[in-house]
Amino acid sequence: MKKIAVCYKWVLSDADIRVNEKTRELDMEKCKPQISEYDRNAIECGVQIKKAAGGELVGMTAGAAVTASTKDALSRGLDTVSFLEDGVMKDADSTTTSKVLAGMIKQIGDVDVVICSEGSSDEYARQTGPRLAALLGWPSVSYVSKVTVSGDSFELERKMEEGTEVVSVAAPVVISVLPDVGEAPIPGVKDILGAKKKPANAVSLGDIGLSADAAKPLTAVKSVLAPVTSRKNVHLNPDGVSIADAAAALVKQLSADGVL
Amino acid sequence: MLLTEDQELIQGMVREFAIEEVAPIAAEIDKTHEFPHATVKRMAELGLFGLTTPEEYEGSEGDTVSYSLAVEELSRVCASHGVILSAHVSLCVFPIFKFGNEAQKKKYLPDLASGRKLGGFGLTEAGAGTDASAQKTTATLQGDKYILDGAKIFITNGGVAETFVVFAMTDKAKGNKGISAFIVEKSFPGFSIGQTEDKMGICASSTTEIIMKNCEVPKENLLGNEGDGFKVAMATLDGGRIGIASQAVGIAQGALDAAVEYAKERVQFGKPIAANQGIQWMLADMATRTECARQIVRHAALVKDSGARYSKEAAMGKVFAAEAAMWVTTKAVQVLGGIGYTKSYPVERYMRDAKITEIYEGTSEVQRMVIAANLLS
Repeated sequence: MKKIAVCYKWVLSDADIRVNEKTRELDMEKCKPQISEYDRNAIECGVQIKKAAGGELVGMTAGAAVTASTKDALSRGLDTVSFLEDGVMKDADSTTTSKVLAGMIKQIGDVDVVICSEGSSDEYARQTGPRLAALLGWPSVSYVSKVTVSGDSFELERKMEEGTEVVSVAAPVVISVLPDVGEAPIPGVKDILGAKKKPANAVSLGDIGLSADAAKPLTAVKSVLAPVTSRKNVHLNPDGVSIADAAAALVKQLSADGVL
Repeated sequence: MLLTEDQELIQGMVREFAIEEVAPIAAEIDKTHEFPHATVKRMAELGLFGLTTPEEYEGSEGDTVSYSLAVEELSRVCASHGVILSAHVSLCVFPIFKFGNEAQKKKYLPDLASGRKLGGFGLTEAGAGTDASAQKTTATLQGDKYILDGAKIFITNGGVAETFVVFAMTDKAKGNKGISAFIVEKSFPGFSIGQTEDKMGICASSTTEIIMKNCEVPKENLLGNEGDGFKVAMATLDGGRIGIASQAVGIAQGALDAAVEYAKERVQFGKPIAANQGIQWMLADMATRTECARQIVRHAALVKDSGARYSKEAAMGKVFAAEAAMWVTTKAVQVLGGIGYTKSYPVERYMRDAKITEIYEGTSEVQRMVIAANLLS
């Protein structure tokens, strides 16, 4: 294996999102940036492939402010990180992201496998992997839950609704992985302090032959609002009916709702 | 004080480990007093026991601020884990690194820094707490060995450590200048573990007596020179105070977090109690004291890392943080009211855990003596 590329996204943690109850708008001010949770599993998948088959493990990311992500990424087992930081990525959609990442992958060359998570923890659009594969002209395999390397080929287990499918594919390939593919270990102190010794390479749009116009998104997000959760507010023991009668009414209601 | 990127990453790592792996067991081990071997092993795997040790001895070569962050984040969910780390790093690894010769460092530091072995510190005796010079443990040179006789009490990690830095009188006539320091292994003939203490708090931390009866310690295990013991002890405790102060900050923060969460959820008179100004002012004061404690402790860590003398800063950090932790945790129980007095919520544990920070590794009274001595010298 020459190069294993893992794409990761620098997202805002959803743990501290606040919702304006009147407008349903999201306040992300207290949310700290982090590597998307599912991308950590993708990085670990890359680490395991490298253990099995050798090669250089390269992290790739693009965004409006991603330099801060590189040390964290490098502490998780990557050999190098290639990152593109440009204001044009601020409102990037899947089209832009895929174009930029494809350009970066072509620029570094000799990539045998690109690993993406099935979706990022913020939008979970599930488009980057397949779009990348289309732009690169490589096979795309999604819902991957297990990877086995055999020479220049991969045996991939796909977790489908109706069961597990096993696919064999030769490199180069783009795979989109589920968290099942490997638990992301917590990096140790040595991994964290050793990250600064590893290279983080800044890449520009010019380096990958893309103009700012060509990188503009095709879609625009108009608003993001918190969902409204409505309750049925069914009172099961009005007027003080007995617990037994209330329980019977509950069972009837749950059956009617298809819960039981 | 703003953290560097490395320090933030280490803080985040320890926080993640503490929340995911330590928090789920914290209440149970407090109840059973069970030493948390599995999570301590994980701490070793994450490199926490060698945080401040150079790479040549299998350490991670981190700084004191990072170490302070690690103890704080652990203590935020479990003060027992915090002191297990602090006692090991500050009281055993540090004196061997600072005062040991190359042979001693090569022999002992790799196992300690990697966490393969845990460390302890034997200074306190039944008749010698704050008055360390009243210690009765003796060390007599006989041929190529020192024979140690005596007992030390309140030894953190006592029941699980394999390497101890122990203090004994090599010359009683010289008072403090007659104290010497030794590296003592649990396996040395004549060494045994005595009584295990049943404590008010930090219940999962192993606190025992260690007994030396004709304990044979090789001559080459003398740390420094004969008579250096008091100097070794005081220098070690200076660093240890940063560890315990960090533990206190973590305890205070954990209690504050619990109190804020409860105040937002508990409804009385048709509204959350957090809507009441009285509760808001309590929480504000708790947060202010916790943050002030945090900043003074981090400052002490920074001064230590700069290479400058830091006794005063460490003492200030410890006395302030410990008393803040006691105050904050008491208020946390008050915010929760009756349910806070039960084991249904962690605040009573935080309060029990906080008390010892005002006592061990130098009582708050001793810290005031150190600060005054620095001011008036």
